[in-house]
Amino acid sequence: MSDSSLHSAGSVSKPDTIFEVENVSVSFDMNRGHSRVVDDVSVEIERDEIIGVVGESGSGKSMFAAALLDAVVEPGLLSGEITYYPEDGEPIDVLSLDDDELRRFRWEEVAMVDQGAMDSFNPTMSIEEHFRETILAHEANLEEGMDHARELLAELYLDPDRVFEAYPHELSGGMQQRTLIALSMVLKPNVIVMDEPTAALDLLMQRSITSLISQLRDKYGITVIFITHDLPLVAGLADRLGVMYAFDFVEFGPTYDVLKDAAHPYTRALLKAVPNTLTPLEDMRPIDGDSPDPVDVPRGCSYHPRCPLATQECIDSDPSFYEVHGDRERLSACHHWEDAAEAIPYSLSTEERV
Amino acid sequence: MNYYLRRLWQAVFTLVVVIALTFVLYRMMPGGPIEQMEQRMIDEAIGSGQDPDLQYIRRMVEIRTGIDPNKPMYIEFYEYMRDIILYQDFGESINSGDPVFDILFYAMPWSIFVSVYGLLIGFTANIVLGAVMAYYEGSRFDSGSTIVAVVLNSIPYYVGAVIMLAFLSFQWELFPTGGRYWAGTEPGFSIEFALGVLHHGALPIMSTILIGFGGTALSMRGNCIRVMGSNYLRVARLRGLSDSRIATRYVGRNAILPLYTGFMIGLAGIFGSSIIMEQIFTYPGVGWYTFDALNQRDYPLLMGILIFFSTVTVIGVLIADLTYGLIDPRASSNDREGF
Amino acid sequence: MARSADPVVELDNVQVHFNDTGFIDKLRGDETIVHAVEDVSLDIAENEAIALVGESGCGKTTLGKVAVGLQRPTGGTIRYRGQDIWEAKENGRNSEIPYSKIRQSLQIVHQDPGSSLNPNRTVLTSLEVPLKMTQSEMGADAREQRIYQLLEYLGMKPPQDYAHRYPHQLSGGEQQRVALGRALLMSPDVILADEAVSALDVSLRVEMMDLMHDLQEVFNTSFVFISHDFANARYFAGKVGGKIGVMYLGELVEFGPAEEVIRNPQHPYTKVLSWATPTLDPDLAAEESMDPPVRKIDIPDPVNPPSGCRFHTRCPDAREACARESPSLQRGETDSLVSCFRMDDQHEYWNSDPFEGDDDPTEREHAGEQ
Repeated sequence: MSDSSLHSAGSVSKPDTIFEVENVSVSFDMNRGHSRVVDDVSVEIERDEIIGVVGESGSGKSMFAAALLDAVVEPGLLSGEITYYPEDGEPIDVLSLDDDELRRFRWEEVAMVDQGAMDSFNPTMSIEEHFRETILAHEANLEEGMDHARELLAELYLDPDRVFEAYPHELSGGMQQRTLIALSMVLKPNVIVMDEPTAALDLLMQRSITSLISQLRDKYGITVIFITHDLPLVAGLADRLGVMYAFDFVEFGPTYDVLKDAAHPYTRALLKAVPNTLTPLEDMRPIDGDSPDPVDVPRGCSYHPRCPLATQECIDSDPSFYEVHGDRERLSACHHWEDAAEAIPYSLSTEERV
Repeated sequence: MNYYLRRLWQAVFTLVVVIALTFVLYRMMPGGPIEQMEQRMIDEAIGSGQDPDLQYIRRMVEIRTGIDPNKPMYIEFYEYMRDIILYQDFGESINSGDPVFDILFYAMPWSIFVSVYGLLIGFTANIVLGAVMAYYEGSRFDSGSTIVAVVLNSIPYYVGAVIMLAFLSFQWELFPTGGRYWAGTEPGFSIEFALGVLHHGALPIMSTILIGFGGTALSMRGNCIRVMGSNYLRVARLRGLSDSRIATRYVGRNAILPLYTGFMIGLAGIFGSSIIMEQIFTYPGVGWYTFDALNQRDYPLLMGILIFFSTVTVIGVLIADLTYGLIDPRASSNDREGF
Repeated sequence: MARSADPVVELDNVQVHFNDTGFIDKLRGDETIVHAVEDVSLDIAENEAIALVGESGCGKTTLGKVAVGLQRPTGGTIRYRGQDIWEAKENGRNSEIPYSKIRQSLQIVHQDPGSSLNPNRTVLTSLEVPLKMTQSEMGADAREQRIYQLLEYLGMKPPQDYAHRYPHQLSGGEQQRVALGRALLMSPDVILADEAVSALDVSLRVEMMDLMHDLQEVFNTSFVFISHDFANARYFAGKVGGKIGVMYLGELVEFGPAEEVIRNPQHPYTKVLSWATPTLDPDLAAEESMDPPVRKIDIPDPVNPPSGCRFHTRCPDAREACARESPSLQRGETDSLVSCFRMDDQHEYWNSDPFEGDDDPTEREHAGEQ
């Protein structure tokens, strides 16, 4: 994505924010203790960007996604503040919407696609009916909506007639996933939250879907929050990356910069650990240690037990974001971000080594 | 279409096998109808002081049972099948001498009346109860109903029937103790007659409702909870669908579907239980005649009833299977496993 | 074709067709045959790593199962150290190598370890089963010690703690280690790892594959590694100098040294997979086309595979010749064997007209947008 550099260059004026997340936490009370699966997260999401949220399973990324739609499942407790800025009109305080407002906010403003595409459709209802009921539930114009649905399906390399009359089980996983994307866009939302939308699909289908998402973003001007554990998958798609570790973000930055020279030791270790086709094989290394337990997160910097740079400072104080190289677009929650490059070298291609 | 043809073919095959089986049982059973009738006629002859004329007795038995021991088996079999399939001729009852078909034909509507209403009312009540239990999952109502359902499910229906008969009919005289309609009324389209039928049928119907009550409610509860936890329901909520649509089109439909086949098979189970139930309520339906035939060793009638019960079961399962494809789109296509 | 000097397992012209025909269909003469594997020959040498890649439905799992004797081929033969496996099964004692020995030597590790481990058994009891089978003379204490050793080796420390856990008390990665350990206790010659790392987080995959490599070295085991992911296949086979086989609709379309196949893909389908593998290098990513280099992104039905070269309906380089004739594996300019007419300069392919396709317009229209 070459235009990612444009985004960072154009950040002199305040970026046009669409979602402002402040001090959001999601917690569960479990027998073993109080568990915080999203821990005091603050992030701003810009209009029309594709932001990739990367984290291991159990890092809190799916809960973060659910929080954006105020859709955290019981008995999870959501706290903090989430503000949504429509293109025109008053900002919306998402967490104080009443049931009916929330019902309209979801899907009309913010839609969601998650990994369970194979299980996202009513097994005893045709695909057409899914589109129809969604349009009717939001009192939108049925005919226009269905035309838009057909258009979307065709854009996703699907035959609208065949898909409409099909039942979910008659479509392959890749087809269901693309249909779900079309269904998420049928009411022309401004934001789509995608939680592992391509997990369990073939490589070719994964890649095709990410390409399509990028094309749809360009055509319809939507903001995409793409959540995944698969770093390479978003590398070619996202404008900006947010890396989550242990229930909070540890690094933000334009995709290009984060990949070229990550500023957090965890991100660097992750880049070394991910199988890909370019890195020399002998340079790939697993990350030492285990991911933390939500009931018992290490104090201070949660990554310190696994980090080669960890000092007493990391145990004593939880780092807040440092601006990397004075660039306000690049943030790293590491006391020693300046030393990370030297301590954990990695290379993304056969020739160079950062 | 292949699916429907295949199911139809299986049903026909099953029926033919059952009819063939009755043929074999009828002829081969030790102590079976032929030996039994011979023995009885010999006894009768001796009892009346005569010398038993074996030749004559054999001929009489032949006429009454329709079995000619001199004919080759395959011709017998052919004729037996032909009579049943083409002429609905199941032979005559040994005791009353009436054609088996006529006896069953007149008794059947009464049994169907009782069992279909019982099944429908019971099923509906169960489904509603199960859905409400699932909705209030974990509440006191839910756990209370679960206990009641388990208890009701473990009470044998005949115990329930006897208790009802004892209290509602004999003790408080709310319902008649037997019969199908008031003796004074003429069968026909009169209000008097209809009320009588309802009054007489009420207890048998109630005891039919009792059969398996609770079990279906518990299954329904489980299905509802499973559907409510499914991902597609979460997505439906996110899509902003109304609660009533989610309740009917999503939870209701997907939770009831798996019970549908059970409902059709339940029909057969209820006919089976009618044997004892109709006896308790002195309700002359198919079950009542079955009990009678068993007591009297009326083999032709028994065979007819066996064929009748099998037909009802097979047709019930067949209808369930065929219509299941219409209401559940997943059933009619052959899903191929990935490889 | 893909031969080696002294193979442990040899597959010769293996073909697997699944009959999916119902009774009535049979009466009416309609047959539904799924062509899962078509005419594949492959040798697995001692201590070798072979990765099979392809989309779901390409037959890679079926071929893998044939290779470890779990699936009987409908055509061709499979031999273990020279002994026909299915002959051994039928002949019983008369066969040179008894079937039970073959069965024990060929093991499988599934994608979902959670479902392949008995949920009601602790790790210890699960692992005892193969030991009781192979070394029945071993005492209970010795067996336990051996299992602790293995768990420690698998990186599950302290082993006394892990040994008494149930599968649901383990993470996905740990379950997979136990499944791998159970296969290893049979002292197998070949292990089929069917998407064994796909269910794990990307950050845990290298660790798991490293473990398999260590075990391969210690136990002298060959691995057949099945994956839909090019990057995993590359790491698994490439790290130990193994080979990658690319499958499409039941056929092996490219076979060669791992790095060669990854860096220098020859078959158009391999190029598609290579395109589909996301790159981490942002400079390279920017250069790549966003449109898939295929005519259609959905795979054809294996019940009616396309005529000629099976890839021709999706191949961007297809010509009329490809629809008529099917290519066989041959050596091109690299060390890989490739099944494509483009490898042969003399082939009539070069004089034939571009393939027009015959499918519905929506899909072609979009493919044309590239």
